[in-house]
Amino acid sequence: MIKTTVVGSYPKISSDKNVPNLRNALNQFEQNKISEEKLEEVYKATIIRVLKEQEDAGIDIITDGQIRWDDLLTPLARNIEGCEINGLLRFFDNNFYYRKPVIKSKMVFKDFSTLEDYKFARANTAATPGVAPKSLKVVLPGCLTFWGLSLNEYYKDLMSFGMDYSQILKKEIQRLDQEKVDYIQLDEPSLCFVPQEISLLKESLRTIFSGIKAKTILFLYFGSIKNLVPELFDLPVDIIGIDLVSKPENLSFILEADLKKELILGCLDARNTKMEDEKEILKLIEKVSMKIPPEKLYISPSCGLEFLPHENALRKLELLSSIAYKFNKTGV
Amino acid sequence: MLLTTSVGSFPKPDYLIKARTRFSRNEITEEELHLLEKKAIAEVIKFQEEIGIDILVHGEMERGDMTTYFAEILEGFGISGLVRSYGNRYYRKPVILGKVKRNTPITVETFKYAQSLTPKPVKGMLTGPYTMMDWSFNEYYPNRKDTALALAEVIHQEVSDLEKAGAKYIQIDEPALSTRPEEIDLAIAAMSIVTRGIKAKTISHICYGDFSKIYPRLLDLPVDQLDLEFANSNFSNLNLFREPKFTKEIAVGVIDVHSHKIETKEQVKANIKKALEVFPLEKVYIDPDCGLKTRTVEEAQAKLKVMVEAVREVKQELGIE
Repeated sequence: MIKTTVVGSYPKISSDKNVPNLRNALNQFEQNKISEEKLEEVYKATIIRVLKEQEDAGIDIITDGQIRWDDLLTPLARNIEGCEINGLLRFFDNNFYYRKPVIKSKMVFKDFSTLEDYKFARANTAATPGVAPKSLKVVLPGCLTFWGLSLNEYYKDLMSFGMDYSQILKKEIQRLDQEKVDYIQLDEPSLCFVPQEISLLKESLRTIFSGIKAKTILFLYFGSIKNLVPELFDLPVDIIGIDLVSKPENLSFILEADLKKELILGCLDARNTKMEDEKEILKLIEKVSMKIPPEKLYISPSCGLEFLPHENALRKLELLSSIAYKFNKTGV
Repeated sequence: MLLTTSVGSFPKPDYLIKARTRFSRNEITEEELHLLEKKAIAEVIKFQEEIGIDILVHGEMERGDMTTYFAEILEGFGISGLVRSYGNRYYRKPVILGKVKRNTPITVETFKYAQSLTPKPVKGMLTGPYTMMDWSFNEYYPNRKDTALALAEVIHQEVSDLEKAGAKYIQIDEPALSTRPEEIDLAIAAMSIVTRGIKAKTISHICYGDFSKIYPRLLDLPVDQLDLEFANSNFSNLNLFREPKFTKEIAVGVIDVHSHKIETKEQVKANIKKALEVFPLEKVYIDPDCGLKTRTVEEAQAKLKVMVEAVREVKQELGIE
């Protein structure tokens, strides 16, 4: 049976006006109209709602929606000694902006909140009697992406940066693994744009994931995997996630490759509100399922859902679930 | 030579901001809002005339977001729910739901009103088809190219009407153009439709980006003048335009619109002179980097004043009028 998952981010505010609204709470907090405790309540209520929406939509492997994250890098950059946060930059080709980390000195692990965030999510993932709670995934930025999106003012080169960064992630991921996280994902959209660095990434992943019991994922989005195959499928991770929407040619590279990994097919456009035709997506999954067995196959949106308004993100989740259900039912 | 202008938006005065909120809550009528927009436009025109700006703008007092404004009036568009752009900032995106059509001129009345207030030229101000496409969700057209070209036809109709209404300068902004260098051919094809047969001077503002990937192909964009940002990167991209030679007119951004600090006259003069090292004097216009709507009214006025003074002194030093 194929499973469903998400890439990571989820809209922070709901189209339902009756639920706690994080945008309003943040504005009020800025204006000293509510306390930090009250703001924290709204964060928690939002995360609980987001977990529940994924569960209710029938998604198998969920995240906390990265609700506490302004962007993919800031949470780490704020907690790595040696990094500062600078101005806004466009995030790849999106109308979304992230804050640029500036690497000023040797990076040292301080303390991330990913462990706390994970524990909170775990405690709030409902267990239906007789059914195990949903699988939870923790998402972090990979070293090529962190490097590619930052301004480096210290390290001699990518390799020396990569060694320190990988050690930092390794420590954090070991802590998560001790908590028995189900899945740990590294996002590496930048890999598509610097394919020549794949061997460096391989070393980084080996360092970070050695000895880890959780299932490990590498997710690529926005770019082509044309110059990454076949090495991509040799990387030391269990599962590779690939955006099939931004570069539809990625499907042909998957079909041509010797697939030794499990695959997440990022097949629903997370950057456009248009709803896909179920039949078309089922055909796509069918093609791939002729190469690898369904239990090694997952489907997801093409990237984080935060590029969509809430009601559209939710509809995409429901569509994803419906597609998986139909595929599994017909036992193709 | 060295004519001064601005990119388009001015900060909205408090009374207009309040009125827009009240209008969204149905507390005032469209007519009441419209009157206040005209008041704000008149104030902005008067201010520009007073400080001696050469080519005026109406300040976009009637507009919120530069794509949503057009999407709300064009047929075929809906508006999305909220999407986050960064931090705690959200906006609504246009959604293309059907064939895009223009049933009535969109900016002509406002242009005619603004122009009626001054003998100096007022720019017609539009958002380009490539940007409208890139910044919208699309549920109708089969691909980005078809979307951009369909939008181009519609925007061409508006450009044509602005010209008929007497606009001597028509600006069609393409801030999204620097985002995907691989799509520059599409942006050029779309703009060809927009400016087809137009005799008025056409301008396009493109926001800061990696111009190394699109220059010199950018010179094929069918407009007479490009309006580019330089101050916010400290003119670090200036050298790119030395070779091959820049063949169009260029409006050079000499004021950083994202900074609260008011530039000194000396700083702006230095910026102008940097630009003149690369661009021929007769092709240079001077303006701020981008729209002024993120500044306070006081900041915007102060920045424009110092810009005009700086240009005046440079012209004296160069012995030109």
